[in-house]
Amino acid sequence: MRERVLVAMSGGVDSSVAAALLVKQGYDVVGATMKLFCHGEDLPDRPCCSLDSVNDARRVCEQLGVPHYVLNLESAFSRDVVRDFVEEYARGRTPIPCVRCNTFTKFRDLLRKADAIDAPLIATGHYAQVRDGVLHRGLDPAKDQSYFLWGIERTVLSRMLLPVGAQSKAETRGVAHELGLELIAEKAESQDICFVPDGDHARVIERELGTDTPSLRPGPFVQRDGTVLGEHAGYARYTVGQRRGLPGGFREPMFVVEIRPHTGAVVIGPREELLGRGVVAREVNWLVSPVPKVGDEVDVQIRHHAQPARGTLVRIEADEVEIALAANVSAISPGQSVVIYSGTCVLGGGVIERARRELPILAA
Amino acid sequence: MPDPVYLDHAATTPVRVEVLDAMLPFFGPRFGNPSSVHRWGREARTALDEAHERVARCLGASADEVIFTSCGTEADNMAVLGAWRGRRDVDRKAIVTTPIEHKAVLAAAHQVRKEGGDERVLTMSTSGEVSKASFDALVDGSVAVCSVMWVNNEIGVIQDIAGLASRARQRGVVFHTDAVQAFGKVDVNARTTPFDMATISGHKIGAPKGIGALYVRRGTPMEPLMFGGSQDRGRRPGTENVAMAVGLARAAELAVAEREHEWTVLEVLRDRMEAALLERIPDAVIHGRGSPRAPHIMNISVPGTDSESLLMALDLRGIACSAGSACQSGSITPSHVLAAIGVRADLASSAIRMSLGCLSGDACVDRVIEVFPMLVEKARRLATA
Repeated sequence: MRERVLVAMSGGVDSSVAAALLVKQGYDVVGATMKLFCHGEDLPDRPCCSLDSVNDARRVCEQLGVPHYVLNLESAFSRDVVRDFVEEYARGRTPIPCVRCNTFTKFRDLLRKADAIDAPLIATGHYAQVRDGVLHRGLDPAKDQSYFLWGIERTVLSRMLLPVGAQSKAETRGVAHELGLELIAEKAESQDICFVPDGDHARVIERELGTDTPSLRPGPFVQRDGTVLGEHAGYARYTVGQRRGLPGGFREPMFVVEIRPHTGAVVIGPREELLGRGVVAREVNWLVSPVPKVGDEVDVQIRHHAQPARGTLVRIEADEVEIALAANVSAISPGQSVVIYSGTCVLGGGVIERARRELPILAA
Repeated sequence: MPDPVYLDHAATTPVRVEVLDAMLPFFGPRFGNPSSVHRWGREARTALDEAHERVARCLGASADEVIFTSCGTEADNMAVLGAWRGRRDVDRKAIVTTPIEHKAVLAAAHQVRKEGGDERVLTMSTSGEVSKASFDALVDGSVAVCSVMWVNNEIGVIQDIAGLASRARQRGVVFHTDAVQAFGKVDVNARTTPFDMATISGHKIGAPKGIGALYVRRGTPMEPLMFGGSQDRGRRPGTENVAMAVGLARAAELAVAEREHEWTVLEVLRDRMEAALLERIPDAVIHGRGSPRAPHIMNISVPGTDSESLLMALDLRGIACSAGSACQSGSITPSHVLAAIGVRADLASSAIRMSLGCLSGDACVDRVIEVFPMLVEKARRLATA
């Protein structure tokens, strides 16, 4: 038998097929479902942290003839992911908890569990690929999830297996049927953030920070010139680039162009005020060695599913990077990730600190 | 891979051959409903009545003092809620339990509170015994029911049920004991020990899952939890599970007959395992070690390890143990028992329960002594890496 691999299994089709493929390839597979949160009595109709998913994962493992465990990572997840999520909103930013979950929960905490059971490898159902220790986009552009993986420690790449990354979603479902995993083969995609019930993130903020958190208190809608246009129900309900829920009566479509947490103002403006020629990111992590240099031309993605833009690295510091964009990019939202590619290869990424409206100049 | 080692008898046990044999006719030719007037009914009724008598004999009780239930949880609920509700008219509103009870008792006590009762919780010594001072302070004339577990399912500590039950009786308090882990290990006898109610469960003693019994001393007020037919005098309506009742009766008889021998055998195994583990892991802590303990349960914590990882690593080497209490999803939550006896959170989160029984022998103990210290050493190396 090949090496032991701990497979993170959500009970969905991607991770189930990942586990099945690894069994087929002769690996010593151990399945694990992470219990990350508990809605407890909040959602009586959904008992205990999507119990059905856990049961599905367990049944798939049973069918594959491999052990399955439920791992309680609640307190670490709450600290590393949920807490950051609400604090970012409180700072007027729009976080991506999935990135931090990959960085801290899956590819750090879960990896420790793998160590504990002598598993040199860890696998997930992500649509991305690792080739020769380098992370690449998933083969299916519609499903590519490499955007969410920039934060993991580079040395972990050599321990990662992403068995579905080289196929399309349809192929994954096909494999599920082929292997007789009818239980999960046609399961719907999960759309929401797992710990945000019904997509209502304000409820999570309220629960974590209290009902009187400033980010959920009413504040003004303003224009860049300071004109007050009305009142909103809390800036944490808004995201840069958002169009829904804004005051009407303008000749052109209006968008959230900035959030100012210190005054509680949500700034709105026309499309051109969303445009940026540069981006500054922090918490930068590189997945290649040696790391890229100032002046390198790269492909830049500022949102999941966004078309990558051409850019140039103009400043690289220990924790910060600045990129000049070859053309205007719309709605560069603080808190989201900027992922830096070279073709299909993920070089690294960071958390967007701010957009630059003017083209950044390359430091001499 | 060496033979698998099952060290989770406190969770459940396999059905004994004698028990299965005793039950089989009732899945076949003797399938009748005990309430029917015809021959099939009479046959089933006879077996059921005998099962009552046989379980009663094992408990030092009369047949009418035994109620068959679907599990230990139902019996605990019937005792706590049923007896509390049965005493509302005498102006006794309080319920007293310990913080180390099984969830079946704890949750039933919470329900009492929701129904207007006064829920009181005894304090425990760090060795896992009920504080007598706390008992005397809380169990007074306003208490309807007091429920104290005989042998704790996580740490094996034995409570002084004779002493506590007689104190309760002096104050007119109905005394219940969850004897699920005690039965077959200590002498659970209503003639010699003044408890009013006691819970036992089949699957801990070689009967199937899905059968338990509640002993209720004659004259103890108790309201039923369910309403329906007149089965078991209306105390537990619903067509009786004849086969399982017969199975429980057989298992109980065997458990009582083998009790003293079983104690000795398990005690020798456990003591050897404990001594060897403590020798190899000198800073390991065995919870409840300073108190009287049933011989089948050992709960060990090793600083710098976590139970979740250890349990996985043990299972992957074929050794089945448990930790804390599992939630519905199967994930481990910190033990309320260890917290209640003052065990530090980091130590509690490394607790592993090994429970011995019919599948345990010298080879199992040898294997644990070989594997456990090795896994501990590895876990600690990783933790400091």
